[in-house]
Amino acid sequence: MRDELLSLTKNVVEKALTSGFDEAAVKISSFKSAMVKIANSEPSVIQNWRYIGVEMYLAKDKRLLMFSTQTTSLDELSRVINNLFETSQKLSPSPIYSPLPEPEKIEPLPDTVDKKIIDAINDPSRPAEILIEASHRSKIDYIAGMVSLSYNEKALSTSKGADLYEDSTFLESYIRAFSGEGSGQWAVGSRYLSEKKLEEVAVTASEFAQKAKNPEEGIPDKYDIILSPMVAGNLLNVVARMSSAFSVFMGSSIFMRRRVGDKVASESFTLYDDARNPELAGSTAFDDEGLPTISKPIIHKGLLNTLLHNSKTASLMKTKSTGNAGWLFPRAWTLRVELGDASLDEMISEVKKGILVTNNWYTRLQNNVEGIFSTITRDALFYIENGEIKRPWKKLRIADTLPRLLQNIYMLGKEYYDIKWWEVDIPTRLPYILVKDIKTSKHTT
Amino acid sequence: MEDLLFSAISFAEKLGAKYVEARYHRNSLTQLSARNGTLLGIGGGVFEGIAIRVLYGGALGFSSTNILNKDSVKEAVKTAFDNAKAHSRLMKSPIKFVDSNMGHVKYDVIPDKNFDSMDLEEKIGMLNELWKNVKDVTTEAKIPVFFTYYSESVEEKIIINSDGAYIRSRVPRIGVGYNLVVLYPQKGSIQRFFSYGASGGLEWLREWNLSENIVDEAKTYEKVLIEGKKPPEEPIDVIVGSEIVGLIVHESCGHPSEADRILGREAAQAGKSFIKPEMIGQRIGNNYATVIDDPTIPKSQGFYLYDEEGVPARARYLYKEGVINEFLHNRWTASIFNTESNGAARASNFYGEPIIRMANTYLKPGNMEFEELLEDVKIGVYMKSYMEWNIDDERWSQRYVGLESYLIENGELKEFVRNPALEITTKSFYSNIDGVDKNLKFYAGMCGKGEPAQGVPVWFGGPNVKLKNIRLRVVA
Repeated sequence: MRDELLSLTKNVVEKALTSGFDEAAVKISSFKSAMVKIANSEPSVIQNWRYIGVEMYLAKDKRLLMFSTQTTSLDELSRVINNLFETSQKLSPSPIYSPLPEPEKIEPLPDTVDKKIIDAINDPSRPAEILIEASHRSKIDYIAGMVSLSYNEKALSTSKGADLYEDSTFLESYIRAFSGEGSGQWAVGSRYLSEKKLEEVAVTASEFAQKAKNPEEGIPDKYDIILSPMVAGNLLNVVARMSSAFSVFMGSSIFMRRRVGDKVASESFTLYDDARNPELAGSTAFDDEGLPTISKPIIHKGLLNTLLHNSKTASLMKTKSTGNAGWLFPRAWTLRVELGDASLDEMISEVKKGILVTNNWYTRLQNNVEGIFSTITRDALFYIENGEIKRPWKKLRIADTLPRLLQNIYMLGKEYYDIKWWEVDIPTRLPYILVKDIKTSKHTT
Repeated sequence: MEDLLFSAISFAEKLGAKYVEARYHRNSLTQLSARNGTLLGIGGGVFEGIAIRVLYGGALGFSSTNILNKDSVKEAVKTAFDNAKAHSRLMKSPIKFVDSNMGHVKYDVIPDKNFDSMDLEEKIGMLNELWKNVKDVTTEAKIPVFFTYYSESVEEKIIINSDGAYIRSRVPRIGVGYNLVVLYPQKGSIQRFFSYGASGGLEWLREWNLSENIVDEAKTYEKVLIEGKKPPEEPIDVIVGSEIVGLIVHESCGHPSEADRILGREAAQAGKSFIKPEMIGQRIGNNYATVIDDPTIPKSQGFYLYDEEGVPARARYLYKEGVINEFLHNRWTASIFNTESNGAARASNFYGEPIIRMANTYLKPGNMEFEELLEDVKIGVYMKSYMEWNIDDERWSQRYVGLESYLIENGELKEFVRNPALEITTKSFYSNIDGVDKNLKFYAGMCGKGEPAQGVPVWFGGPNVKLKNIRLRVVA
């Protein structure tokens, strides 16, 4: 649909300019997707979507308007634009206004589409069957989870002359296995459909469930904690959202009282917004202002390397866009943590008194500026003593601050996992991570 | 639009579907955002489409499209049907829907004051006025950031199914929210996110008394920041404010009472429930523990009269005088439990399947004044508001960290305490209630569940509640 979508984006931009707007950017997203949701080891629902959405950014005399609609009728869109122009007369100039950027050369990302995913959208029963079968190779009670497949197209035109198109595929799957009182969960997010990856998700979840089968009550204390990629992915998603310059501007970030170059994490820790890595789901060649994306560290060897910017936040903070627009809110495209050199066994052997947390949920902050948070473990949790896993435990909370957690990163794994699920919204490639001296908590009564 | 929906029903029936449901769902939204009183911009949109559900061979197919023509809707029906058929071979327990009374009705929420009875400029001015009023009210601390939004939205639905339902509804909603940061570098900062929300119109702006409340909050947080002490470490009486009580009953009664969760349908997402299918009639707390979920409260944020399956809504007594009394059901779970659906199937938009949701959940209030709750407390803490909270995926172990909190001594509120954490199990909370006052208040929220995640508007509420003999934790 490349030509149809681009023709429409160009026409809508043209219409916005002739209606009186000074600037316009129009993005059309189109996707087809299928999802099999699984519960009690059988499908609970099979869902399909066909969607086209039009998003418009419009500026008149520094007044900003953003509007989404789903009509693809040019007449209807013209009517919407005329109404928005009337509205613009009543607004005041925005303090974050800056002009849309001049277009730059965009190098497309290679291999962003996997035909196997497009085929499987029409009948996703095979991936679902693999997940159910592979997870039951271990002796478990039942599984729940999902597999989702999508084909996405986006077209973008701006009044500065950018006309861009990209298509991509996306696989997301996660499985939670139950065995007695134990459970395990694992996930994958990828550009490509691979039966092996799906099997790994199912097998990992089932193995954790079995190992956690008879958990004992956990004892809250200060521990060395091995965060699985599921857990570290969740917490680093929070950090990445806080690295958006708009989060800083809005008073919702641990970086609000920090500057680029400040030490914000352990020296061993580097976190990338790996926007141009085509293997990673979420990667893209251009942002919503038509600028090329950049793979770059957010935190490099413990130092804050950059906030994530669009041209507005960049102008406010007197720097350059990092290719992360969002017209209002700059965001990370896809995250990657630099590997260390430890195996999981080596990490465990390093821990005198600690825990291995395989999954968590419900991370909430008492204060985004201070980074005071807690999150509660779910699924397999293991107590470690003198370098050995001793026993599975029931749930605990990790209750500390994000700045301390980042500073106390001690060891990073040497193997990557590609994680995306409910609690890891930005696709993240990362290893296991060991953090020292982190507080845990539990109900008192 | 209705023709499209009716044609979808007859096409699915021709294909051989046992049940089919077609829902037109339109959400329109306008939102103003301001930082420190200055308008950043206006955003919004119209999100409309059709959702189809088909039951065939015991499997459930769902399909959604926002391309609103006959061919696209026909394709959506065919896709839902084909998917149900292809997956029916994997079904060990075929899905069935219980018989229910089907609504045939039109209803609208009529605002007392329509959105257009106030100019856009006045609405922008209101956000500016809030900042003007709050920016200088602190004496030593600063307010570096005050972000506000104002939103108005309308949700319109037409629901038709092969069992005879026809429901047409229109619900406008209004919301105001803010992020207030109070900074005193020697002691750190305090942050408050809060949002108001309800169905209806601009009449709520007066009710919410925004300016006065926000100014009071800013002054209070400065004191909490500068003067706040550590809470006592020994077991004490804790008075939990209605804002926190509302959240507690939503999290530890409403969610675990969702029958789909009890049956494991959400096990990999929002989790399971400590409540097992056979636990109706079992005790979970003392006689104060009556929790009601009622979609029919007029002008509430979670208001509806019929659910997405066409079933009439009613008040549900989830816990009644300390006993697990009733689950939230849709037509599928009702068939498993051999009962009737109580109309809890909701979808937030056209691309969401209807799943079991709360609406307006609250703890039943009592007859006491707030002062009567305080009067026999020798030493205790009153936690009025919160920021951080979470609960485990079976809805048993939960934590709420107080924001505006006071020490209580000999029946009187004394100095502020900072970041007391109530970390308690569900049974302990409902079993340790020693008194509830008569001040029932509701708070607005968006409740998340489902895959893809759907946020539905809800209220949660309750009176102020006294708990006996609780050991608080301290957040450093």
